[in-house]
Amino acid sequence: MVLLGAPRWLRSRLTDRFWRVQEVLKYARHFRGRKNRCYKLAVRSVRRAFVKSTKARKEKKRFLRALWITRIEAASLEHGLKYPAFISNLLKSQVELNRKMIADLAIYEPKTFKSLAALAQRRRQEGFLAALGDGKEPEGIFSRIVHHY
Amino acid sequence: MAAARRAAASWFRLAVRHRSSQSQAPPHGLVAKTSLSSPPWPEVKLPDPVEEAKYHAEVVQKVNKMIATGQYGRLFAVVHFASKQWKVTSEDLIMMDNVLEAECGDRIRMEKVLLVGADDFTLIGRPLLGKDLVHVEATVIEKTESWPKINMRFQKRRNYQRKRIIVNPQTVLRINTIDIFPSLS
Repeated sequence: MVLLGAPRWLRSRLTDRFWRVQEVLKYARHFRGRKNRCYKLAVRSVRRAFVKSTKARKEKKRFLRALWITRIEAASLEHGLKYPAFISNLLKSQVELNRKMIADLAIYEPKTFKSLAALAQRRRQEGFLAALGDGKEPEGIFSRIVHHY
Repeated sequence: MAAARRAAASWFRLAVRHRSSQSQAPPHGLVAKTSLSSPPWPEVKLPDPVEEAKYHAEVVQKVNKMIATGQYGRLFAVVHFASKQWKVTSEDLIMMDNVLEAECGDRIRMEKVLLVGADDFTLIGRPLLGKDLVHVEATVIEKTESWPKINMRFQKRRNYQRKRIIVNPQTVLRINTIDIFPSLS
Protein backbone atom coordinates (compact mmCIF):
# COMPACT_ATOMS: atom_id res chain seq x y z
CA MET A 1 0.00 0.00 0.00
CA VAL A 2 1.62 3.34 -1.10
CA LEU A 3 0.99 6.42 1.02
CA LEU A 4 0.85 9.66 -1.04
CA GLY A 5 1.11 12.02 1.92
CA ALA A 6 2.73 11.64 5.34
CA PRO A 7 0.31 11.20 8.27
CA ARG A 8 0.15 13.95 10.92
CA TRP A 9 1.76 11.93 13.71
CA LEU A 10 5.04 11.48 11.73
CA ARG A 11 7.52 14.24 12.83
CA SER A 12 10.87 14.95 11.21
CA ARG A 13 13.84 15.75 13.41
CA LEU A 14 17.09 17.43 12.40
CA THR A 15 19.64 14.64 12.56
CA ASP A 16 22.78 16.28 11.08
CA ARG A 17 22.93 19.39 13.24
CA PHE A 18 26.43 18.39 14.38
CA TRP A 19 27.85 18.41 10.86
CA ARG A 20 26.16 21.66 9.91
CA VAL A 21 27.73 23.30 12.95
CA GLN A 22 31.15 21.77 12.24
CA GLU A 23 31.03 23.17 8.70
CA VAL A 24 31.17 26.66 10.18
CA LEU A 25 33.44 25.91 13.14
CA LYS A 26 36.12 24.36 10.93
CA TYR A 27 36.84 27.81 9.51
CA ALA A 28 37.07 29.30 13.00
CA ARG A 29 39.44 26.86 14.67
CA HIS A 30 42.42 29.22 14.53
CA PHE A 31 40.57 32.22 15.98
CA ARG A 32 41.22 33.67 19.40
CA GLY A 33 38.88 33.35 22.35
CA ARG A 34 35.44 31.79 22.54
CA LYS A 35 34.72 32.39 18.89
CA ASN A 36 36.73 29.31 18.02
CA ARG A 37 34.40 27.07 20.08
CA CYS A 38 30.94 28.60 20.42
CA TYR A 39 28.77 28.46 17.32
CA LYS A 40 26.84 31.68 17.90
CA LEU A 41 30.02 33.77 18.16
CA ALA A 42 31.81 31.78 15.48
CA VAL A 43 29.13 32.37 12.85
CA ARG A 44 29.59 36.13 13.08
CA SER A 45 33.40 35.95 13.01
CA VAL A 46 33.51 33.53 10.12
CA ARG A 47 31.13 35.66 8.08
CA ARG A 48 33.33 38.74 8.65
CA ALA A 49 36.42 36.74 7.78
CA PHE A 50 34.95 35.64 4.44
CA VAL A 51 33.86 39.17 3.55
CA LYS A 52 37.28 40.58 4.45
CA SER A 53 39.08 37.97 2.38
CA THR A 54 36.83 38.75 -0.61
CA LYS A 55 37.65 42.45 -0.41
CA ALA A 56 41.33 41.83 0.27
CA ARG A 57 41.68 39.87 -2.97
CA LYS A 58 41.08 43.13 -4.86
CA GLU A 59 43.29 45.22 -2.61
CA LYS A 60 46.16 42.74 -2.84
CA LYS A 61 46.70 43.75 -6.46
CA ARG A 62 46.98 47.43 -5.50
CA PHE A 63 49.26 46.68 -2.60
CA LEU A 64 51.63 44.51 -4.62
CA ARG A 65 51.91 47.12 -7.34
CA ALA A 66 52.85 49.78 -4.78
CA LEU A 67 55.44 47.38 -3.34
CA TRP A 68 56.97 46.77 -6.76
CA ILE A 69 57.12 50.52 -7.42
CA THR A 70 58.88 51.12 -4.11
CA ARG A 71 61.43 48.43 -4.88
CA ILE A 72 62.08 49.72 -8.39
CA GLU A 73 62.49 53.23 -7.02
CA ALA A 74 65.05 52.07 -4.45
CA ALA A 75 67.00 50.08 -7.03
CA SER A 76 67.02 52.85 -9.62
CA LEU A 77 68.16 55.41 -7.04
CA GLU A 78 71.15 53.15 -6.40
CA HIS A 79 72.02 53.69 -10.05
CA GLY A 80 71.40 57.43 -9.95
CA LEU A 81 67.97 57.60 -11.59
CA LYS A 82 64.62 58.52 -10.13
CA TYR A 83 61.61 56.24 -10.64
CA PRO A 84 59.59 58.46 -13.06
CA ALA A 85 62.67 59.05 -15.24
CA PHE A 86 63.52 55.33 -15.23
CA ILE A 87 60.04 54.05 -16.13
CA SER A 88 59.19 56.73 -18.69
CA ASN A 89 62.50 56.34 -20.53
CA LEU A 90 62.22 52.56 -20.49
CA LEU A 91 58.79 52.79 -22.08
CA LYS A 92 60.02 55.28 -24.65
CA SER A 93 62.73 52.80 -25.65
CA GLN A 94 59.97 50.26 -26.34
CA VAL A 95 60.91 47.91 -23.50
CA GLU A 96 57.60 46.57 -22.20
CA LEU A 97 58.56 44.84 -18.99
CA ASN A 98 55.97 45.25 -16.27
CA ARG A 99 56.73 46.43 -12.75
CA LYS A 100 56.63 42.96 -11.27
CA MET A 101 59.36 41.77 -13.64
CA ILE A 102 61.54 44.83 -13.18
CA ALA A 103 61.29 44.45 -9.40
CA ASP A 104 62.21 40.75 -9.67
CA LEU A 105 65.14 41.56 -11.95
CA ALA A 106 66.32 44.23 -9.54
CA ILE A 107 66.41 41.64 -6.76
CA TYR A 108 67.73 38.55 -8.54
CA GLU A 109 69.58 39.90 -11.61
CA PRO A 110 71.43 43.05 -10.57
CA LYS A 111 73.60 43.18 -13.69
CA THR A 112 70.54 43.11 -15.95
CA PHE A 113 68.93 45.87 -13.90
CA LYS A 114 72.08 47.96 -14.21
CA SER A 115 71.95 47.61 -18.00
CA LEU A 116 68.28 48.64 -17.99
CA ALA A 117 69.14 51.71 -15.90
CA ALA A 118 71.94 52.62 -18.30
CA LEU A 119 69.53 52.27 -21.24
CA ALA A 120 67.02 54.56 -19.55
CA GLN A 121 69.72 57.11 -18.73
CA ARG A 122 70.98 57.17 -22.30
CA ARG A 123 67.44 57.57 -23.69
CA ARG A 124 66.87 60.41 -21.22
CA GLN A 125 69.96 62.25 -22.45
CA GLU A 126 68.91 61.81 -26.06
CA GLY A 127 65.54 63.20 -25.09
CA PHE A 128 67.15 66.32 -23.61
CA LEU A 129 69.18 66.86 -26.75
CA ALA A 130 66.12 66.40 -28.93
CA ALA A 131 64.25 68.98 -26.80
CA LEU A 132 67.01 71.58 -27.21
CA GLY A 133 68.28 70.96 -30.71
CA ASP A 134 64.92 71.00 -32.59
CA GLY A 135 66.25 68.64 -35.22
CA LYS A 136 69.64 70.31 -35.72
CA GLU A 137 71.43 67.53 -33.77
CA PRO A 138 71.57 64.04 -35.25
CA GLU A 139 68.80 61.79 -33.94
CA GLY A 140 69.72 59.59 -31.05
CA ILE A 141 70.59 55.94 -31.57
CA PHE A 142 68.58 54.59 -28.64
CA SER A 143 65.56 56.76 -29.49
CA ARG A 144 64.94 55.01 -32.79
CA ILE A 145 61.55 53.27 -32.87
CA VAL A 146 61.60 49.65 -34.01
CA HIS A 147 58.74 48.64 -36.31
CA HIS A 148 57.65 45.02 -36.42
CA TYR A 149 55.57 44.86 -39.59
CA MET B 1 77.25 72.09 -28.82
CA ALA B 2 77.72 75.89 -28.94
CA ALA B 3 75.00 76.12 -31.59
CA ALA B 4 72.65 74.17 -29.36
CA ARG B 5 73.50 76.36 -26.37
CA ARG B 6 72.81 79.52 -28.41
CA ALA B 7 69.54 78.07 -29.67
CA ALA B 8 68.58 77.18 -26.12
CA ALA B 9 69.53 80.62 -24.86
CA SER B 10 67.48 82.37 -27.55
CA TRP B 11 64.50 80.07 -26.89
CA PHE B 12 64.61 80.85 -23.20
CA ARG B 13 65.16 84.56 -23.79
CA LEU B 14 61.99 84.81 -25.88
CA ALA B 15 60.06 83.64 -22.86
CA VAL B 16 61.56 86.42 -20.66
CA ARG B 17 60.92 90.06 -21.52
CA HIS B 18 63.83 92.53 -21.30
CA ARG B 19 63.06 95.98 -19.97
CA SER B 20 66.44 97.51 -19.17
CA SER B 21 67.22 101.26 -19.08
CA GLN B 22 70.40 100.69 -21.13
CA SER B 23 69.60 100.52 -24.84
CA GLN B 24 72.81 98.60 -25.58
CA ALA B 25 72.22 94.96 -26.51
CA PRO B 26 74.74 92.56 -24.88
CA PRO B 27 77.34 91.15 -27.30
CA HIS B 28 76.03 88.14 -29.17
CA GLY B 29 77.05 84.82 -27.66
CA LEU B 30 77.33 86.08 -24.06
CA VAL B 31 74.14 85.44 -22.10
CA ALA B 32 73.59 86.70 -18.57
CA LYS B 33 73.24 83.72 -16.29
CA THR B 34 69.67 83.81 -14.99
CA SER B 35 67.41 81.03 -13.82
CA LEU B 36 65.99 80.70 -17.32
CA SER B 37 69.05 81.21 -19.49
CA SER B 38 69.94 77.51 -19.52
CA PRO B 39 67.78 74.39 -19.22
CA PRO B 40 67.17 73.01 -15.72
CA TRP B 41 68.91 69.73 -16.52
CA PRO B 42 72.71 69.42 -16.51
CA GLU B 43 74.36 69.76 -19.89
CA VAL B 44 74.47 66.51 -21.80
CA LYS B 45 77.30 65.37 -24.03
CA LEU B 46 76.85 62.24 -26.12
CA PRO B 47 79.86 60.31 -27.41
CA ASP B 48 80.89 60.56 -31.07
CA PRO B 49 78.34 58.62 -33.22
CA VAL B 50 80.95 57.05 -35.53
CA GLU B 51 83.04 55.77 -32.65
CA GLU B 52 79.91 54.62 -30.88
CA ALA B 53 78.74 52.66 -33.91
CA LYS B 54 82.13 50.94 -34.04
CA TYR B 55 81.91 50.12 -30.34
CA HIS B 56 78.36 48.75 -30.75
CA ALA B 57 79.42 46.51 -33.66
CA GLU B 58 82.33 45.22 -31.62
CA VAL B 59 80.09 44.39 -28.65
CA VAL B 60 77.54 42.63 -30.89
CA GLN B 61 80.28 40.55 -32.50
CA LYS B 62 81.70 39.61 -29.11
CA VAL B 63 78.30 38.52 -27.78
CA ASN B 64 77.60 36.57 -30.98
CA LYS B 65 80.88 34.73 -30.57
CA MET B 66 80.10 33.98 -26.94
CA ILE B 67 76.72 32.54 -27.89
CA ALA B 68 78.20 30.55 -30.79
CA THR B 69 80.91 29.00 -28.65
CA GLY B 70 78.45 28.34 -25.81
CA GLN B 71 80.24 30.39 -23.11
CA TYR B 72 77.18 30.97 -21.01
CA GLY B 73 75.94 29.20 -17.91
CA ARG B 74 72.29 29.06 -16.97
CA LEU B 75 69.97 31.21 -19.07
CA PHE B 76 66.92 33.02 -17.76
CA ALA B 77 64.15 34.49 -19.89
CA VAL B 78 61.24 36.84 -19.33
CA VAL B 79 58.28 35.34 -21.16
CA HIS B 80 54.82 36.84 -21.73
CA PHE B 81 52.35 33.98 -21.28
CA ALA B 82 48.69 33.79 -20.20
CA SER B 83 48.60 37.61 -20.05
CA LYS B 84 51.32 37.64 -17.38
CA GLN B 85 55.08 38.02 -17.48
CA TRP B 86 57.17 35.26 -15.93
CA LYS B 87 60.87 35.14 -15.15
CA VAL B 88 61.74 31.64 -16.21
CA THR B 89 64.76 29.29 -16.17
CA SER B 90 65.04 25.70 -17.32
CA GLU B 91 63.43 23.01 -15.09
CA ASP B 92 61.14 25.33 -13.22
CA LEU B 93 57.37 25.08 -12.76
CA ILE B 94 54.74 27.58 -13.81
CA MET B 95 51.08 27.53 -12.80
CA MET B 96 48.48 29.42 -14.78
CA ASP B 97 44.99 30.10 -13.51
CA ASN B 98 43.16 29.06 -16.67
CA VAL B 99 42.76 26.28 -19.21
CA LEU B 100 45.29 25.48 -21.92
CA GLU B 101 44.01 23.58 -24.96
CA ALA B 102 46.78 21.01 -24.86
CA GLU B 103 46.86 17.53 -23.37
CA CYS B 104 49.13 16.54 -20.50
CA GLY B 105 52.58 15.74 -21.86
CA ASP B 106 52.38 18.06 -24.90
CA ARG B 107 55.45 20.14 -25.67
CA ILE B 108 54.75 23.84 -26.13
CA ARG B 109 56.92 26.60 -27.52
CA MET B 110 56.56 30.01 -25.87
CA GLU B 111 57.02 32.65 -28.52
CA LYS B 112 56.69 36.02 -26.79
CA VAL B 113 60.08 36.42 -25.15
CA LEU B 114 60.86 39.89 -23.80
CA LEU B 115 64.33 39.40 -22.35
CA VAL B 116 67.00 36.70 -22.26
CA GLY B 117 69.97 36.86 -19.95
CA ALA B 118 73.01 34.95 -18.85
CA ASP B 119 75.79 35.83 -16.46
CA ASP B 120 77.80 38.06 -18.81
CA PHE B 121 75.25 39.41 -21.30
CA THR B 122 71.54 40.26 -21.59
CA LEU B 123 69.46 40.50 -24.73
CA ILE B 124 66.65 43.04 -24.30
CA GLY B 125 63.79 42.90 -26.77
CA ARG B 126 62.02 46.02 -28.04
CA PRO B 127 59.47 44.83 -27.09
CA LEU B 128 59.91 41.20 -28.23
CA LEU B 129 62.96 39.19 -29.27
CA GLY B 130 63.01 37.44 -32.63
CA LYS B 131 61.84 33.85 -32.93
CA ASP B 132 65.09 32.92 -34.67
CA LEU B 133 67.05 34.17 -31.66
CA VAL B 134 65.40 32.44 -28.68
CA HIS B 135 63.59 29.14 -28.28
CA VAL B 136 61.71 28.36 -25.04
CA GLU B 137 60.15 24.91 -24.68
CA ALA B 138 57.69 23.79 -22.00
CA THR B 139 55.65 20.66 -21.21
CA VAL B 140 52.15 20.51 -19.77
CA ILE B 141 52.38 18.49 -16.55
CA GLU B 142 49.00 18.58 -14.89
CA LYS B 143 45.59 20.18 -15.23
CA THR B 144 43.78 20.58 -11.92
CA GLU B 145 41.36 22.84 -10.15
CA SER B 146 42.26 25.44 -7.58
CA TRP B 147 41.29 25.20 -3.91
CA PRO B 148 37.67 26.35 -3.35
CA LYS B 149 37.81 30.11 -2.84
CA ILE B 150 34.90 31.63 -0.94
CA ASN B 151 33.29 34.85 -2.17
CA MET B 152 30.97 36.34 0.42
CA ARG B 153 28.95 39.53 0.40
CA PHE B 154 27.23 40.80 3.53
CA GLN B 155 25.39 43.96 4.45
CA LYS B 156 24.61 44.55 8.10
CA ARG B 157 21.09 45.03 9.44
CA ARG B 158 19.59 44.27 6.02
CA ASN B 159 19.38 40.49 6.12
CA TYR B 160 21.56 40.25 2.97
CA GLN B 161 24.28 37.71 2.60
CA ARG B 162 25.45 35.77 -0.45
CA LYS B 163 28.06 33.03 -0.43
CA ARG B 164 29.66 31.68 -3.59
CA ILE B 165 32.42 29.08 -3.96
CA ILE B 166 34.76 29.65 -6.89
CA VAL B 167 36.92 26.86 -8.26
CA ASN B 168 39.31 27.87 -11.08
CA PRO B 169 40.88 25.40 -13.49
CA GLN B 170 44.68 25.50 -13.31
CA THR B 171 47.46 24.22 -15.56
CA VAL B 172 51.00 23.41 -14.46
CA LEU B 173 53.83 23.67 -16.98
CA ARG B 174 57.47 22.75 -16.65
CA ILE B 175 59.98 24.78 -18.67
CA ASN B 176 62.30 22.28 -20.31
CA THR B 177 64.89 24.33 -22.18
CA ILE B 178 65.84 27.85 -23.17
CA ASP B 179 68.06 28.01 -26.28
CA ILE B 180 69.67 31.00 -27.94
CA PHE B 181 71.18 31.11 -31.43
CA PRO B 182 73.93 33.46 -32.64
CA SER B 183 71.85 35.49 -35.07
CA LEU B 184 72.55 39.02 -33.82
CA SER B 185 73.34 41.82 -36.26
